[in-house]
Amino acid sequence: MNDSPSRQASSRDSILARIREGRPQACPLPDVPMFTVPGDPSDNFRQKLLSFDGQIVSTTSRDEAISWLESHIDKQSKKVYSAISGYHGNVDHEEADADPHKASEVEICVAEGEYGVGETGSVWVTDRSLGLAACALLSTDLYLLLDHSRILPDMHRAYSTIKPGSAQYGAFFTGPSATADIEAVHITGAQGEISLTVVLY
Amino acid sequence: MRQVNQVKLGEAFIKDTAHRESHDRCLWAARMRRDNVTSAIPEWEEMRTLASDIKRHTLSRLDEYLEEFERNATANGIHVHWAADAAEHNSIVLDILSAHGVKTVTKGKSMLMDECGMREYLGEHGIEVYEADLGERIQQLDQQRPSHIVMPAIHKLRTDVAALFARTLGSDPSNDDPHYLNSVMRAHMREKYKHADAGMSGVNFAVAETGGIVVCTNEGNADISANVPPLYIASMGLEKIVPRMSDVALMVRMLSRNALGFDITQYTSHYHGPRKGQEMHIVIVDNGRSARLSSPDYREALKCIRCGACMNTCPVFRRTSGLSYDAPYMGPIGIALEPSYDLDRYARLPYSCTHCGSCGAVCPVRVPLPEIIFYWRNKVVESGNSMLIHDMEMSAAGMVLKDASNLAKAEKLGLWALRNLPQGLTESQLNPWAREHTNPEPPAQTFRQYYEKNIKPGKKQ
Repeated sequence: MNDSPSRQASSRDSILARIREGRPQACPLPDVPMFTVPGDPSDNFRQKLLSFDGQIVSTTSRDEAISWLESHIDKQSKKVYSAISGYHGNVDHEEADADPHKASEVEICVAEGEYGVGETGSVWVTDRSLGLAACALLSTDLYLLLDHSRILPDMHRAYSTIKPGSAQYGAFFTGPSATADIEAVHITGAQGEISLTVVLY
Repeated sequence: MRQVNQVKLGEAFIKDTAHRESHDRCLWAARMRRDNVTSAIPEWEEMRTLASDIKRHTLSRLDEYLEEFERNATANGIHVHWAADAAEHNSIVLDILSAHGVKTVTKGKSMLMDECGMREYLGEHGIEVYEADLGERIQQLDQQRPSHIVMPAIHKLRTDVAALFARTLGSDPSNDDPHYLNSVMRAHMREKYKHADAGMSGVNFAVAETGGIVVCTNEGNADISANVPPLYIASMGLEKIVPRMSDVALMVRMLSRNALGFDITQYTSHYHGPRKGQEMHIVIVDNGRSARLSSPDYREALKCIRCGACMNTCPVFRRTSGLSYDAPYMGPIGIALEPSYDLDRYARLPYSCTHCGSCGAVCPVRVPLPEIIFYWRNKVVESGNSMLIHDMEMSAAGMVLKDASNLAKAEKLGLWALRNLPQGLTESQLNPWAREHTNPEPPAQTFRQYYEKNIKPGKKQ
């Protein structure tokens, strides 16, 4: 092998030595103020999520949200992966965990959103709330349940509340996957999920 | 190595009206959207200053932050590697892949992996790398490098993509609807995701205090590549470090707004360790960056967060496209970076600039791009790489400007030439800048004549 551990160790040390030699004079690290955005966070959230081609269903309680899922998702004909308590899919978790490549069979994924962000219409999800993240990413239709009281006003408050370092995978999902790589034509549904519905309760 | 002649390489694109106009329109639209969304944020200019100061501070203690990052990432269960140059990066990646018996890889966008020529290297060693970003895959199938760091295939028309996909993926050659072409790509990549042995991506931000990385994308391809296979490798230039998660909040607010005029990328994803049963590696790459850090004249280019806004706004880039720079990085940031790798090869790039200053005005981290480009022009002259015509023009200008009476004579001569000589003689065919230019209407008098008659002290106005 070209890269014995010792060669890499010496690269590490020589890189750090070069940086120490050449680094500029010390200058202070400013604090990032908690800038915020005007308006009601929930209203902002709705408006921004729609602008990213996401969909919103409003319900008044978690029970109602789950009944909505029961009545709108066709478990007879679709492969459904559920990561939430109180709603069962038909894709076996252990089997999917054993080989995430199998997640490509998932058509519908239901998962918990941990927080919303008014500024951008984003939903924070992690490998805790998604179960197997691959299922959400490879699904066609993704449903995220979100408690409306957990919508934060802006990104600064989102980052300070969420602490992204506490999850192995944590992401702001903002509308379904999209691309504009051909003549900048905006297309919803690129490689990840084609539709994203937030079920607010 | 052959010197890159951007003027010549951009010539065909400039003459191709359909491609040039579409390119210009798409990029200018991104610039306009950027202006709209950023002007709605009252603290935007303050955010630019903060982002610049955070990056500057980080560079001043880069070694300490890299060590902190390494410590925390390792504690998170991530394998951290260090590569002095592109060759070492590639061999580290190959070793990891070989140890896992990897045959196929799906990969999110990474300018760094392009810079290192990694895909070609792995290909030579029997490992198939599938670019999973639509634009990057288009460029891979067409055996071209990306023409833009955020929109890799933006120089192409839909008809080009339709023909390319028909030839390489067997799609319907008569259907050039971008929605159809996107669905062809989706179906094609689904098959690859099903069997990929490893996933790879670049890195937007690496956070010292948490030992995690942030990857910002729109298509979902990087997230799939990271979350599906049992092995995930991310590569980062050593300047991608920020000290704190609160810095990420600031920069995430700026990145997509400044790049494309959207509030955020569809996926803004944070990786702080492998999932159960997975292995995760991060390769930290120098490849000339530590040397760049030691130069007060161009180290600030290391603040760049790769949003691409300087390209979208550049009048030269918009008309010539990124391929004409024949370099991994193109546009204004390319001109700021590439000469530090190879001044001889990229000696003419600093002249692909009108000095309009627009790139510096839109940069979210206040990289002084116009100043760095100007610096490189000086270096080009000092190193003896300047073009003969520029030297001749400069010494002529020196002669004319050193003496007021010379200047007065030159003014008269210039006006006479403009009036009496045919266009072909007054525009210099030797100077590429003058080529597509039309001479102005000759004025009735020179400025000096006007001044002496109307403004000079002692004369009545």
